[in-house]
Amino acid sequence: MKKKAVLMFSILFVIVMSLSGCSSSSSGSSKNEIVFWNVFTGPDGQDMQKIVDEYNKTNPEFKVKNVSIAAGDMYSKIPTVVNSGKGIPDLTIVHAERIKQFVDANMLTPYDDVLVDFPDIKADNYVPAGWAIGDINGSRYSIPLDVHSFVMYYNKGLLEKYAPNALDDNVVTFDEIKEAAEMSTKDGIVGMGITWTRPTFLSIYHQLGGDITSDGETPTLNTPEAKEALELLKGMIDNKFTNKDGEDPGQLFKSNKAIFYPEGIWMQNSLNEVETLDWGITSFPQVSADKIVNWTSSHQFVMFKDDKRSDEKAKGMMDFLNYIRENSLPWAKAGQNPAALSTLENPEFKELPHSFLIEDTEMQKSLKIFDYKYNGFVAEEIDKLVGDAIFGKLDIDEGLQKAQKAVEDKIAANNKK
Amino acid sequence: MLNTETNKQEIMSTGLERNSSKKQLNLSPYLYIGPHLVLFGIFFLFPTFFGIYISFTNWDLIGEPDFIGFTNYNEILFNKDSTFYEQLRVGLGNTFKFVLFTVPACIIVPLLLAAGLNTKPKGLKFFQALFYMPTLFSVSAVMIIFSMLYSVSFGPINHYLNSDTNWLSTQPYAWITLVTVTVWWTIGANMIIYQAALNGIPKDLYEAASIDGANSVQKFFSITLPSIRAQILYTVVITTIAQFNVYGQPLMLTKGGPTSSTTVLLMYIQENAFGSGISIAGIGSAMAVILGICIMIVSAIQFFFLRQRD
Repeated sequence: MKKKAVLMFSILFVIVMSLSGCSSSSSGSSKNEIVFWNVFTGPDGQDMQKIVDEYNKTNPEFKVKNVSIAAGDMYSKIPTVVNSGKGIPDLTIVHAERIKQFVDANMLTPYDDVLVDFPDIKADNYVPAGWAIGDINGSRYSIPLDVHSFVMYYNKGLLEKYAPNALDDNVVTFDEIKEAAEMSTKDGIVGMGITWTRPTFLSIYHQLGGDITSDGETPTLNTPEAKEALELLKGMIDNKFTNKDGEDPGQLFKSNKAIFYPEGIWMQNSLNEVETLDWGITSFPQVSADKIVNWTSSHQFVMFKDDKRSDEKAKGMMDFLNYIRENSLPWAKAGQNPAALSTLENPEFKELPHSFLIEDTEMQKSLKIFDYKYNGFVAEEIDKLVGDAIFGKLDIDEGLQKAQKAVEDKIAANNKK
Repeated sequence: MLNTETNKQEIMSTGLERNSSKKQLNLSPYLYIGPHLVLFGIFFLFPTFFGIYISFTNWDLIGEPDFIGFTNYNEILFNKDSTFYEQLRVGLGNTFKFVLFTVPACIIVPLLLAAGLNTKPKGLKFFQALFYMPTLFSVSAVMIIFSMLYSVSFGPINHYLNSDTNWLSTQPYAWITLVTVTVWWTIGANMIIYQAALNGIPKDLYEAASIDGANSVQKFFSITLPSIRAQILYTVVITTIAQFNVYGQPLMLTKGGPTSSTTVLLMYIQENAFGSGISIAGIGSAMAVILGICIMIVSAIQFFFLRQRD
């Protein structure tokens, strides 16, 4: 009996030890494999998988292993793996807004050394807004995959009926939307949908001359421009030019009951599923036609610090990035704008509706990435503020004050020793 | 690695022999609880103590935590100007409201259903399965279904009520929605416990009461309730703890709105520790410790009052 017990104890012990052993080794990368983490868990994940498969077919020295993880999970996993030094991914896709934060925490390896052998990966070959993000303190920390913008869709039939001249100068202004909405609401048609409030607010805020930080350190949310932006949106809602609170603007647009529908370029494939809908795409609505702003974000390739990563493997990774640079068309078809300019030469790309954003250099300048070390804090507060403020549940002044204070407090809590 | 393992085993076995020579040490009980003990240690004890430690530090999840004593607690409990003080006040207030609104319903509704089923109606098994079913669904599935049901312009609820009530982002409808969803979702577990308890009540008690001329309401309050007091105590405590940890329902249905009126404390904890900005894990942990203390106090009070009636 006693012997049996000891035996079973030791078996248990061994099992537990081997289990814990497993977890650390299985997620690490093998020698000839590039472990590639990304946040593409939707349909875009399949498009990325296809690109990776195509690359692996070219028989590279280092094959790429594609691992898609939901963004929230990935971002909470990264500090743990980088801290422990085990199972660090070789190549990772992160959102542009997060990079400064990772650089500050000293978690990224710059590309400078490996870039020497890949002269084609340079500023001239990428969309400036996407490329500029990775340049921090004179080092290159990221290579852009895409630039995805928050623009505006319109219903072609309804536009013809209510605002036939709005698109003459290729820009739709808020005044034009109001004018159209005044007529259309009489027929039960909504002028513009209120969709994702964060980029909606930020776009207008920047059009009016505001930005979320004045010097890269101090947050600037409680400003006259921010108030003006919120009042503009609130005015449209109060005048019933938009959908009501709680109404789904996507459903309205898809059932031909809304003229304008601000949304991301990545939404177009879901609009294509609606056969009865004939849509077009243009810039986000503007306060004035002189200065166009399109809220933009970008997926960027970064390398998290890993002492065990060999120089050969780093070169293998660059080879993959160079491949992506030249073969971004599948990614464009997934509803994104590739950051690599070589895609522009492809006639197939020019037929895609969202290509207008990067086709000419003037439009490229309209892409605005809100790049700020404390972007995450600002985003959290904007999400709480805008919806309530524009639908009249929260006093605008009070809301802006609170948001400004919250961001300042979070920054202070972060720097407290 | 292997060497140390065998060493450990040798030490263990020699230790055992020495012990067993003195008195008979029976290992079997430990063997049975062993697997659970290991998991309990890894997934419960360690995280709990680590969380308490983190609440005394400033940590961004990267690098080493800096020990800063009670600064975090000071900030969230006493610094009235701080956003985090406000978060704790609002979050804890909303959590308590949620507990107050849901727990009574989560006890009474399953109890009535169980009492109904206890009369052995036709289709007993069918209804039992039907009432238990929602418990099996994941929180996200339930919330997606209900956000469709409560949708302003396309939802069947507004359609049949012939109204355009904004159920999810105006008060008091947001609370009504959250409470109904939670009760519907959690009926099953408590109902099963009550059913088992009701089955255990001797039938002769009811017969005796009938002879004395008691009606069914009197029977319910004089026989049924006292007989299942232990189970009610258990479910009240368990349900309260569960509802204190509310997170998924307001996160997915109301997104904490309107104007943070349904933002519960766990949402603020999550935002601070794992939000989209740099992690403020220390503040998040301190809030979590406060929430834990609140749950302990409330449970202790419940035990005290329900025990006293014995």
